[in-house]
Amino acid sequence: MTTTANTTAESSAPLSTPEPTVVVRDLRQRYGDFEAVRGVSFDIRPGELFALLGTNGAGKTTTIETLEGFRRPDSGTVRVFGQDPYGQPTGVRERTNAVLQGNGLMEDLSVDESLSLARDLAADPRDADEILTLVGLTDKRRLRVRQLSGGQKRRLDLGLALLTRPEVLYLDEPTTGMDPEARHETWRIISDLKRDGVAVLLTTHYLEEAERLADRLAIMHRGEVRVEGTLSEVLGGWGDRVSFLVPSDVRTADLPHLDGADVEVQTRDQRLWATYTIRAGDVADRAHHAVAALMAWAADHGGALHHLQVRGASLEDVFLEVADGAADLVGE
Amino acid sequence: MTTATTTAPQGADHRRKGPGLFRQTLRLGRTEFTLFVRYKTASMYLLMPVILLLPVLNQQSVPILGEYTTTELSLIGTIGAIALFLGLGHPCNVFTARREALVLKRLRVSGVPATAIFGGVFLVVLLFTVLIAALIVAGSVALGGPLPADPVMLLLSVALGCLAMTMLGLLLTRFAGNAESAQILSMVPMMALLFLSGGFIPLDVMPDAVRQVALLLPVAPTVEMAQAAYFGYDVFGGLEGAEPVGFLGLWAGALPGIGVMLVWIVALALLVRRYFVWDPRRP
Repeated sequence: MTTTANTTAESSAPLSTPEPTVVVRDLRQRYGDFEAVRGVSFDIRPGELFALLGTNGAGKTTTIETLEGFRRPDSGTVRVFGQDPYGQPTGVRERTNAVLQGNGLMEDLSVDESLSLARDLAADPRDADEILTLVGLTDKRRLRVRQLSGGQKRRLDLGLALLTRPEVLYLDEPTTGMDPEARHETWRIISDLKRDGVAVLLTTHYLEEAERLADRLAIMHRGEVRVEGTLSEVLGGWGDRVSFLVPSDVRTADLPHLDGADVEVQTRDQRLWATYTIRAGDVADRAHHAVAALMAWAADHGGALHHLQVRGASLEDVFLEVADGAADLVGE
Repeated sequence: MTTATTTAPQGADHRRKGPGLFRQTLRLGRTEFTLFVRYKTASMYLLMPVILLLPVLNQQSVPILGEYTTTELSLIGTIGAIALFLGLGHPCNVFTARREALVLKRLRVSGVPATAIFGGVFLVVLLFTVLIAALIVAGSVALGGPLPADPVMLLLSVALGCLAMTMLGLLLTRFAGNAESAQILSMVPMMALLFLSGGFIPLDVMPDAVRQVALLLPVAPTVEMAQAAYFGYDVFGGLEGAEPVGFLGLWAGALPGIGVMLVWIVALALLVRRYFVWDPRRP
């Protein structure tokens, strides 16, 4: 797939950045009185993987179903290749595909028959042997789908989605049920898709999956995007943590003040522990500066910082904090 | 929309030419056939009209259309009821099950149009209905009956019945939560329409008002057409006093019934288009 130069005058994106293939603006979806999606916006460009994370019921699948064309937005705009995807119009349906949360396979067909059917229904399908090799099911091709394991069915489902050469691919928890080896192989396949210019929307409960694959990600909670950005932006917004055992001769009030950092003191094992959370400053250097300042302070007091720990944020930290309902974690 | 443009990176000129609706429908019809043969429950819908033939063949037989007897008339009338079992029962059952298993959604996200998906199941209903109808005709001929007077009208009655009943079956999936409830749900209109079809209980024995209503429902007109097409009698005004007519007379008599069926088919198709649910997750 080729990339197209951005010709929109208003856009501040560099010329080499392709136009977004998927555009979602202020999407809202209601089920009766319950608002499942509350003003979600994001773009996905060719060759980019956007991960939508969140707790169960956060609104991820409803968002994907709207993009797939199964739901009309209650308000807001959704565009895929510049078109409203509702009802899968021509010009959208031939160029998109999806791995659904369930398999959606015809259990009474064989693996070969499933691929043959999908090939005969598609405009420009990939070769069946190539797909079987790609998803590692060549030796299972004669089996009925119902004889496959859960992970094998997931792989066949992914293969069927790739068979139509989609330019936009929605992956709704694609590796659920796979063993670790198959999961890693799937990650490799998805990385290759990105390299080929496919725009991918991924939802997953495996945060490692998002960390490895996502160019940008959003964490949804109760229908809203609470955190959004690149991985480093999201982790940067959460902060680095420096913790140590407070020296016995130091009172809490005497702990040093560090610019751009909050300090919290907790009692554990009848001793005081200080934790500095540094959110401001350059993500690459801020932990270093904080530790240097604390070391200098310790040296002035003629002591050492025992049990010194420096820890960057993990996606899991951010996810859990969002899931707990922290509302102040809106990423940059 | 803000600064983001809605222009596709690979615009309309990048559209791919697909295999076409007709070929997709035929291909899905082939898979429907494979699945029908492998799906044991489907054979139930094949057996039901055959089982119903037994009381028909055992009833007291009296001449009613010239030399033709009530038994012969009922036997041919069963042709109109095959689509009722197969068309209403099978699509309602399997499409509910497939929706719950995300099979339908999988097809849609792969770019397969709804019409091809519905068309595939219609083809398998039509195929098996024609097959059973051919067996009934063969049986009737073997028992001394005539060859069909107007095979085209006979086929048309089968096709219209299959189309209307398939649409009705698809529409009913909206109200079924799983394959089992779909089977029970489809039984209700199936039995009501069977009672009012004129295939087993001649409409002539019912009050005139009931007969008029029955002929506005989507099964009785096909039964009438099948009987008229097979025996060459103008039965459209009732069996009493029906006379043999020629080709044009037969078609002229059939027109109101064809009209009723077409209205039903269009109405049901619009309802299916509007209300069919692809997604097991409901609002």
